[in-house]
Amino acid sequence: MPDLGERGNVMGPQPIGKVVEPPAAMLAAAAELLTAIMHGDLASAEAMTTQQAREDIARITHALKPGAYDKYEVIGRGRVARHYFLKARLTGINAQPFTIQFRLGEDAGKWTVREVLNLTDRRSAWTK
Amino acid sequence: MQRMIPVDKLARPEDHILLPALRMRNARIEQGLAASNAMPYEDDFLKARLHGICAGEFQAMEAAGRTLYDFPDAPWEFQLDMARQVWDESRHAEIYLKLLEYVGSYYGEFPEGEVLWSCTQAEDPAARVAGINRGLEGLACDVFEQLIRIAQKMGDPIIERSVDYVLADEITHVRMGSKWMRQLTEGDPERFKKAQAFQESIDDLFNFGGGRTTVEQAGHIKQRVGEKEIEIDSGITIAREARLLAGFTEEEIDRLVKGFGKSAAY
Repeated sequence: MPDLGERGNVMGPQPIGKVVEPPAAMLAAAAELLTAIMHGDLASAEAMTTQQAREDIARITHALKPGAYDKYEVIGRGRVARHYFLKARLTGINAQPFTIQFRLGEDAGKWTVREVLNLTDRRSAWTK
Repeated sequence: MQRMIPVDKLARPEDHILLPALRMRNARIEQGLAASNAMPYEDDFLKARLHGICAGEFQAMEAAGRTLYDFPDAPWEFQLDMARQVWDESRHAEIYLKLLEYVGSYYGEFPEGEVLWSCTQAEDPAARVAGINRGLEGLACDVFEQLIRIAQKMGDPIIERSVDYVLADEITHVRMGSKWMRQLTEGDPERFKKAQAFQESIDDLFNFGGGRTTVEQAGHIKQRVGEKEIEIDSGITIAREARLLAGFTEEEIDRLVKGFGKSAAY
């Protein structure tokens, strides 16, 4: 039960709603995208990216040194209705951490990238 | 001294997603939703609305603190009022964090927008309080009054009383804003006019294309909230009674209802 009041000896109000868990297919799509980018596999990354974000995904894939990154971590997630914004960091032994933020949306059962942004050395998507 | 700091200078945890309004709007439009905000007819309306308010409370706390810091030469009583507002907003943020848990959400489930912070960008303390205390806190009166009615229809005293408690503070903040807007511009009609124009630009921004109306005139829709299906307003209403309590004039409220004949700026 979530702590609703730090009153250990009192039964406070109980939650009236359930937390929405992120869809497993969405998380799998994120993993697929990050793996493709990390390996410089532009064709796979593009295959799951809508037309509007293709240029950006190409720019980001080209910005990464091939073989420099071997790990990724999704560090942030926020949804707008059924679309998910994810923030992820790619790391490698001799490479500066690379941070990207992208939005995934589902269409006919397939999760695709709707926008992507290089957030390295930036804190947010405030600056376009 | 830099008085107008961009939103991404605000301290936020790394896992937090902060977005410009444009990106948020694009995501909503692509899903066939109203561009500006979560609307009462959406499934996640209550969670998204509480989340937006919670983010607003954090930014309001930061804005009042920033105003205190930015204008060290302002009257001592003004500084005291701003300090008190920081304390009020921090309690509000805490209340909304608990309400988010209560409805099955958590802070960070949705991205945080920057549009409220953009309304704090004024160099003059008179304009700052006109925009934040009268513009944004006036909007808060509208949103909270509607939320209280929704909670009443849900039969949920937790949300109803929590939000009513916060609304009482917001009314005080609007009154503070009116007082300082007048006092700081005393004998300087030009400065008063500029502060008023800044507030009007904010009222206009949140007028949603002239789509807001009074509680009495609002359309209604059926919506499932939690276990119950209730009838709620189809858009964000203007809370005449709460605004009158806060010291807005009938004329000001009528201008809001008429929407100045302009469309929303975002």
